[in-house]
Amino acid sequence: MKSALKDVALALDQRLRVFYLAVTLIILVTATPVCGAVGCDLNDPDRDVARLFPNSSGYRTSYASIEKRGGEPLLRKVETRLGDRFHGIYETVDVPYTIYEIYSGKEKVGYIHGVNEKGQFGGIQVFVALDMAGTIKSFYIQKITSQWAKKLRDPAFGAQFRGMSLKDLEQYDPLAGKGTGKVGEIQNPVSEAETDFRAALRALKKNLILMDEFVFSTEGKKP
Amino acid sequence: MITRYQIAYKNLLRKKARTLLTIIGITLSSWVLVSLLGFNQGYERALNRDIENMGYQIMVMAKGCPYEAATMMLQGGTGLRYIEKSMVGSILKEPEIDQATPILMQAFFDPNKGENGGIAGYFGVDPATYPSMKPFFRFRQGEWFHDDSADEAVMGFEAAELEQREVGDMIFVPEKNVKLKVVGILERTGTQDDGTIFVPLKTLQKVSGIDMITTIGIKVKKDADIVELENKLYKLPDVQVVSLSQVKQTIMKLISTARIMVLSVAIIAILIAMVGVINTILMSVLERIQEIGILKTMGAMPGDIFSLVWTETLILCACGGVAGIGFAIGFASATDFLVRIILPYAPAGGLVVIDVSLAMLTMGIILLVGLMSGLYPAWKAGRVRPLESIRR
Repeated sequence: MKSALKDVALALDQRLRVFYLAVTLIILVTATPVCGAVGCDLNDPDRDVARLFPNSSGYRTSYASIEKRGGEPLLRKVETRLGDRFHGIYETVDVPYTIYEIYSGKEKVGYIHGVNEKGQFGGIQVFVALDMAGTIKSFYIQKITSQWAKKLRDPAFGAQFRGMSLKDLEQYDPLAGKGTGKVGEIQNPVSEAETDFRAALRALKKNLILMDEFVFSTEGKKP
Repeated sequence: MITRYQIAYKNLLRKKARTLLTIIGITLSSWVLVSLLGFNQGYERALNRDIENMGYQIMVMAKGCPYEAATMMLQGGTGLRYIEKSMVGSILKEPEIDQATPILMQAFFDPNKGENGGIAGYFGVDPATYPSMKPFFRFRQGEWFHDDSADEAVMGFEAAELEQREVGDMIFVPEKNVKLKVVGILERTGTQDDGTIFVPLKTLQKVSGIDMITTIGIKVKKDADIVELENKLYKLPDVQVVSLSQVKQTIMKLISTARIMVLSVAIIAILIAMVGVINTILMSVLERIQEIGILKTMGAMPGDIFSLVWTETLILCACGGVAGIGFAIGFASATDFLVRIILPYAPAGGLVVIDVSLAMLTMGIILLVGLMSGLYPAWKAGRVRPLESIRR
């Protein structure tokens, strides 16, 4: 009797172990950062939209890509405006960009848009919240892999961009890593992270150019 | 000469709205049915593919390891249980074993991944044995590690895409502040390997300060008795043995609730469609009772009337069935997307696989159920008495 009970207990224990292993495998699979043809989405749009646009009541999501909006000619135009070529195997014409249109009641009050950028040790995801005129309300680095990440994600760093628009960022040269006017005054919070600092500024300029091409120029509201 | 099918077709066209609604009902039920059967087939196939692509059939790990591993992955903490790497040597002595490879799983918390941080998972693998277990790996860029303790990494397709890495770039191991050079990027495999960062075992041991391993992956020789091997491995001290077929069974059990729910919906949909068919055909028979009487006075036998009414049922079911299967095939990717939202775990690859045999099977079921529904109205039509019906 005792040994039969022991057998049953052992069998149950084994089943439980297999169950937990299956759960582990599931978690392993779902915990890994998996994305499609990699665009840049907010991790938790409900929470993030409310944080970046405190007075908003809702949002609508739309998608755009250079390929669908104009193909190679648009890509060349964006590169010219950026002052740098799209490079690498991930910065391509078919990258899908997610545009969050922000509403307060029935009135559209702004946009949130993010882009991926190659950083020194990993991808950087740079989001901006824009008002209807294309002026930056918030600058937010959602993800960055670096030992200096904390300083670049600090709200004080992002606050330097508040009130700027594409006109200001047009004064930034991503190849030289230098700018004039307001953008030239932006302070790198940590000199050791110069590569990621430049990547963040390039991402911001790219972000605003894409928003201009995808949204503001089509709505006749040039910032 | 007008055929029975033409007559049946014209009869159905008399009440277009009713016929259309009935066909829509049948379409919806066959859509649900074929999608469910396609899911049953596709999910198991995808799961098998995921498990086969792991490259090994049995895993040996420390007792209690799965509990700890789940905790680690959920909370980003440490506390995994480990086994000695030397155990690989003793396991390899078993004649059933073709290959064995040691693996060290580690996860580090990255506070700068999203608003609340995230987990970065690493697989420490032995460059001498692991690649041969994954012969289907193809490199998009670069190759495997240059030596067994190099500060290098090979990234799965999606891990590299997310981190925007190319061969020659560096990656940064959070918590440990260690930099590794990317030497290879894999082509997309459609499995969990796409999101994995592989590091030489010795390197990950050095980074994490652990000189042990978490798992031994075992590839069994063809025709070897896996059950007997498992029994032998159970005798090793403080380890547990998990065959991936057991894991598969457990995952299948986990999703069985969802399958039962969908099956219930499919059965209800079919029942509703059956009632719809009975209603439509019966109404049609009752409305044409005088016509049927006249047909009989002209020499039509009960069997002729029966087959005429049954043909109408056949046309309704065939149209609904074909449309339903068409929609199921056309919207398979949308169904796939919805299923992935609902299920706790979905393997990579297509979850809804609809092939010709499945489409034929569904068509057969729909026709069979439909014809059964048409039995009563057809029998009632066949029993109509000519004179009584004409006098009405």
